[in-house]
Amino acid sequence: MVLTQKLHEAFKGTVERITAPRTVSAFKEKGVLSVSEFVIAGDNLVAKCPTWSWEAGEPSKRKSYLPADKQYLITRNVPCLRRAASVEEEYEAAGGEFLIDNDDNNGWLATHGRPKETNSAEEENLPSMETLEINKCRGIKPISSYLGGEEEEDIPDMADFEDTENLVETDPATLQPSYFVTHEPEDDNILRTRTYDVSITYDKYYQTPRVWLTGYDESRVPLKPELVLEDVSQDHAHKTVTIEDHPHLAGKHASVHPCRHGAVMKKIIDVLMSRGVEPEVDKYLFLFLKFMASVIPTIEYDYTMDFDLGSTSH
Amino acid sequence: SSDSSSERQILRFIPFQSSADEGFWRRLSSLKLDTLGLDQSPIPITGEFFSFLSACFYAPCSHPQVPNPLKLMAESLPDDPLQLVIGNRNKCPVPGTLYNTNTLESFRALDKDALLKMEARKVKSLDFSIFDDIISGKADEDCAVLSRFLLISFADLKKWTFRHWFAFPALSLEPPATLVNIQPASKVFSSEEAKSLSRACNEWRNSNMTAGVPFFFIVIASNAQVTIRPLKDWEAFHGDGEKLLFGFYDPCNLPSNPGWPLRNFLAFICLRWKIENIQFLCYRERRGLADLELSLVGEAVVLLPQDWRSPCCVPKAVGWELKPKLMNLAASMDPKRLAVSAA
Repeated sequence: MVLTQKLHEAFKGTVERITAPRTVSAFKEKGVLSVSEFVIAGDNLVAKCPTWSWEAGEPSKRKSYLPADKQYLITRNVPCLRRAASVEEEYEAAGGEFLIDNDDNNGWLATHGRPKETNSAEEENLPSMETLEINKCRGIKPISSYLGGEEEEDIPDMADFEDTENLVETDPATLQPSYFVTHEPEDDNILRTRTYDVSITYDKYYQTPRVWLTGYDESRVPLKPELVLEDVSQDHAHKTVTIEDHPHLAGKHASVHPCRHGAVMKKIIDVLMSRGVEPEVDKYLFLFLKFMASVIPTIEYDYTMDFDLGSTSH
Repeated sequence: SSDSSSERQILRFIPFQSSADEGFWRRLSSLKLDTLGLDQSPIPITGEFFSFLSACFYAPCSHPQVPNPLKLMAESLPDDPLQLVIGNRNKCPVPGTLYNTNTLESFRALDKDALLKMEARKVKSLDFSIFDDIISGKADEDCAVLSRFLLISFADLKKWTFRHWFAFPALSLEPPATLVNIQPASKVFSSEEAKSLSRACNEWRNSNMTAGVPFFFIVIASNAQVTIRPLKDWEAFHGDGEKLLFGFYDPCNLPSNPGWPLRNFLAFICLRWKIENIQFLCYRERRGLADLELSLVGEAVVLLPQDWRSPCCVPKAVGWELKPKLMNLAASMDPKRLAVSAA
């Protein structure tokens, strides 16, 4: 990890230890969530999109300010059929901006990364993304470079065993589909689908949800976090997506850094309010996940919004 | 043996995919280091390996593009082995056994054939096995025992590499089950039945009592009303002309074949309930809700193997994955490499 990032993490950790979690709602004013609002919004996400679940996580990593059985949210085995880099052109065509709302022809675009608008005093205290360097990962590596198999040891596979009685390969009632290949196939017609576990934690420092990505290759072996950057919009892969320790899961995972989340959520909320929609805090995660889809456009997680975003006041 | 000119079409099952995440290997490492020690074997079966009771998790397929794997995660190895593994609708527990060896040589030397046979039929009175759980009625009460897994591993804590090999033990019917037909569930039911079936499935999946129960039977009354019942209700159930289907959470996404859990379920139905003509539902979801386009309804003919009637039979089992896998966590676990990257 880069030193500046480490220093920031240490600073953030200290601040998190000595500050009480937010209890007063500042959802409309700052786009942030209190702990109890995070739980309310999470409950609603789980109820409306049942592929999401609350998790208790490891007891040793539990945050006391969250309910023991509601430490973070996760949806598993989400397909990612193509690399985000392959949709890069579409993205560039949009000018590196993302569409927050185009329900009517009144679409609204927001810049991200380094917004030009005036910073409030609070925002100036936040580290800029420039200081949070991450490994450059320009070239797309072959899909076979995962956490598995760097050294080739000569372990015989089932076919080498004399007694083949237990072999699924020779069992007439077993069908091995072609996508079970564990090596780079030459035939490009084989569907090689990465999958993701997408988790959402509560970031006490930024007072917003935070998205984490755990990738798996087509044979369900965990991907190195660096390879996950191939599935992040390239505009973000070098800025807002960092590789850090997950607060509840083991190991390093790619994460969309939350330093701008509050500001962007505030803008989304402002737009809704200007259109006469009173946003409700339990819908926060639907808006948030729609916003995240601009960062990870090819990971097909569920954030269905087939209902009102809030109560329409007029 | 199967591709003779006979007309019968063999019902073929898609094996589970396996997936073990970093949290699982870290838990295994700390168990080995902190609790068990490197050289001592407090709970050995032989001197060569430790065995742990463990739990994998899976859920019905919920995206048409990908099957749902059996996952090992940190909570697969709880601190307290007697602690109840709690799942949820997206994490149905599957019981299993892990054999971790202390050397690469003993990993290679493990008798995989014998381990799989032990899953099929008990050798000692303490072992639990698929066949015994079916005839004893244990599977009626706790149907999770119909799916299970075996994992053998060699955790090399000097290099932080984890060699492992999965098996999903399944009783092998001889002759194999015959497929009569299989098609999307949406083509089988009237619209009334489909609506009622979807509603009943969603209720089953939304109730904390049943969300993690992967095997069940479905009763469709003549007025198209659908009810889903746990296996233990079968004894008291008296059919009265209703349509009957045996349902299971299907991790497979293919439109042509059922997934692996149906294998032991068919063995259960013919061995325990003596039914030979079996209508089954491969239950699958989209966005967490019942999806009858993805779900399949099939019909199979299963003949109880002759030797299964004998009280001392040792049924044949299959289920080893084709190859071992290797997980390398040196980059995230090796203290030396961590020290270098932090400098």
